[in-house]
Amino acid sequence: MLSRIAESLFWLSRYIERAEYTARILDVNFHTLLEQSRDRYRLRWEPLIVMAGEEERFRRIYDEANARAVFEFLAFRQDNPSSITQCIAKARENARTIRDCISREMWEDLNGLYFTVNRFNPAEEMEAGPHRFCDAIRFGSHRFHGVTDATLPHDEGWEFLRIGWFIERAEMTARLVDVQYHALYDAPAEIGGSDNHQWMAVLKSVGAYEAYHKKYHSSIDPEKVAEMLIMHPLHPRSIRFSMTEVQSGLRAISGTGSGSYANEAERLTGKVLERLRYDRIHEIFKLGLHSYLNDLLRMCGSIGEDIARSYFYYAVVA
Amino acid sequence: MLRPNKKPAGAYRASGPMSANLSALLKPPRTRPYTVMGMMTVMLRGKPHGGTNYTRGAFGRQAQSSILPGLPLFRLSPTFGIPDVSDRFFRPPNKGHPCYSSRMSAVPSKMPLQGLFGEYTAGPFYDEMFAAPDEPRPHYAKIFQKLARMMPSQFEECRKHADLSFLLQGITFTVYSDGRGTERLFPFDLIPRIIPNSEWQRIDRGLAQRVVALNLFLQDVYGKQRIFADRQIPRALVYSCKHFMREVIGIEVPRGIHTHICGIDLVRDSKTGEFCVLEDNVRTPSGISYVLENRAVMMRTFPDAFQAYEVLPVNHYPAELARILRSISPRGGDDAQIVLLTPGIFNSAYFEHSFLAQQMGIELVEGRDLIVDGGIVYMKTIHGLTRVDVIYRRVDDEFLDSLTFRRDSVLGVPGLMGAYRAGNVALANAVGNGVADDKAIYAYVPTFIRYYLGEDPILRSVDTYLCSKRDDLAYVLEHLSELVVKTVGESGGYGMLMGPTASRERIDEFHRQIQADPRNYIAQPVVPLSRVPSYDPALECIAGRHVDLRPYCLYDGENVTIVPGGLTRVALQAGSLVVNSSQGGGSKDTWILRGED
Repeated sequence: MLSRIAESLFWLSRYIERAEYTARILDVNFHTLLEQSRDRYRLRWEPLIVMAGEEERFRRIYDEANARAVFEFLAFRQDNPSSITQCIAKARENARTIRDCISREMWEDLNGLYFTVNRFNPAEEMEAGPHRFCDAIRFGSHRFHGVTDATLPHDEGWEFLRIGWFIERAEMTARLVDVQYHALYDAPAEIGGSDNHQWMAVLKSVGAYEAYHKKYHSSIDPEKVAEMLIMHPLHPRSIRFSMTEVQSGLRAISGTGSGSYANEAERLTGKVLERLRYDRIHEIFKLGLHSYLNDLLRMCGSIGEDIARSYFYYAVVA
Repeated sequence: MLRPNKKPAGAYRASGPMSANLSALLKPPRTRPYTVMGMMTVMLRGKPHGGTNYTRGAFGRQAQSSILPGLPLFRLSPTFGIPDVSDRFFRPPNKGHPCYSSRMSAVPSKMPLQGLFGEYTAGPFYDEMFAAPDEPRPHYAKIFQKLARMMPSQFEECRKHADLSFLLQGITFTVYSDGRGTERLFPFDLIPRIIPNSEWQRIDRGLAQRVVALNLFLQDVYGKQRIFADRQIPRALVYSCKHFMREVIGIEVPRGIHTHICGIDLVRDSKTGEFCVLEDNVRTPSGISYVLENRAVMMRTFPDAFQAYEVLPVNHYPAELARILRSISPRGGDDAQIVLLTPGIFNSAYFEHSFLAQQMGIELVEGRDLIVDGGIVYMKTIHGLTRVDVIYRRVDDEFLDSLTFRRDSVLGVPGLMGAYRAGNVALANAVGNGVADDKAIYAYVPTFIRYYLGEDPILRSVDTYLCSKRDDLAYVLEHLSELVVKTVGESGGYGMLMGPTASRERIDEFHRQIQADPRNYIAQPVVPLSRVPSYDPALECIAGRHVDLRPYCLYDGENVTIVPGGLTRVALQAGSLVVNSSQGGGSKDTWILRGED
């Protein structure tokens, strides 16, 4: 497989996952806030911008982080490279360059998603609220993954799609947990700590609300929510689950067995997974959740770079 | 926090391979674009969509489409919001659809013109369908009857089905003039162009003869150069061709093949009714993907017509091309690593490149995917470098290697010519072929056929005046308003003067240009191209339109294989004689019959 094609596949699924995750968070946040008093708005919307890593850009454009501004910024802005429409457009462009390497159904599906996204009228959607737009993205992403799974041979190309997909997911989940804890624990006591609604929103945005209740049979406890999102072995949006997928993808490509590694990306993935498996949540809290998650994000970044170094880029031969 | 799209430059490219260059080139419009609709309006020729409401606020409603009346353009299901394209576009037409209803049956071949044909007149041109008014030629009789029975609305429906099929598969070329790189359909006309077998046999022999002669000429001119010694063509004329490449003199190409793939443009002269050669394309001729796709769409649209006729198949082209590419591998053997080198996604023929690569099961590469090390070409794969044996290149000579040709080229592979010269990689077509399809050299092709093969040309060439010859120049300057003047190094209908229809200023302009640089121009009498009935969406009826024919010839060093038919290009503008797609031309499916009708 050509390096360029592998790289396009990696980014293709990464962009789709980013679009889906952003849509999820937007949607749930919006609906949680419908039940909240007005003075809490500022607190709840800002974390979304921080999570997208686009605070600076946002401040240049808007004065205040309210529902409308955040929705527009994260969903439609052409000048926000992380906006949902931009992610979908970039995913499609990546697919277009490698059309001969993906299934025809994948291309048609993604092309259709792109057209759908572009047909939304931002002004009208902002009146209506983010739900139907976000729904379209969420199901569009699911559908694309379904089509991919069912029509693309599960060879190396498929593995690169899987790696891009899950590394993005792991990073997004880490950011979600980090940002929410930061916002809630740093807030004045009367708002922070026991705000169950906000934690319910976090669980719902990753589709883990029901699973949480099934597992813990208890009311919403921030520590348990964090444990679920970081360390749950089987929930498809937990960091641990995502990193396991990344690891098996990497091993399938290099042909490495368990207990060893073929490149730096595999070594780091193994190291991250080791910690996710054997750490306890209260230990993490004792050491500081923020630094733990930041560490994790740094590692994910390095894994991405090492994948690029191992598979995508060639040193220039003079 | 490290965000993928905020990574420091240099360490790891910021946000995916496409984002950086694309956002610059495909600059999204500032306002919300309704790209689909914009594209469709352009691509589906015919009447505008007439203020239907699907562009705004159509979500949740079923917007009516004017493409398939009664069906929503993009049906949005309330939950998913994804256009439900697949099931609609590919489902078979409704029960009342004309492709089922107007069955072909034995009807007397003489019938009054009616319906779609309206007041059809053949005009002063050779009409390929009609021998005389009301009298279709025998090989067109069955299709004529079918069409004559169709209502314009039925035909329109078939046409829209065909267009949608092209659109959905993304069989498009890219137009850059609007600054956004809009993808457009290459207009397709549903009325086939039919050629009986006996006539095709002659064309086939004539083309094969021409391809072999052109190949021998290229071997000679980049080899021993006997033809100059024997004074058949002036050396100065050959050496002054824009695409003559001194860099490849003396290079022995694998199996002596220079012209692996040729597209030779034929036209039927209305005066004689005979096919003659208008132009040779021996560099990187394109269009074969349209031949294959046109056929596929026609078979879906008019299945009964294929039952009524025995049409020779065309879909063996990719396999045949792959066989030839494999045969020129320097390392021999069946496991040659073959790649198709494309200039990339922004090339207007990118669809064809990706289509052919997929059909042949070979890797589609860009220049940046290849690297030359120690005189060997490699491609960069995830598991390291893999040696490349054969490159089917769709990049022009000048851009192939920035060390040998244009220094500013980023489309090619630095050092490629070194590997080629060393015989470590084969290129198809060979480098330097442009000399053989130079428009001034064209005049000498009959000479080549006589000189190299000792045969008379089977297919006639069009009389050509070389402005570099003093007598010819004088004649051309006298008769500019009757002639077609062509710039020798150009193709695609660019740099042309159509004397009879040109304005006084334009003729004067060419007069000056020709005098300034006579070598750069040739002139030919205007060939009155034959016409084939074609559907005119504006008039909603069938009218005669001029056509040419580009068959694709594959040469394996011994035999020439020509896919029966080729691309019939049609000048869709009434009266126009220019068929190039860049100049508003469309295409037709070309049927070569197994027999005579």
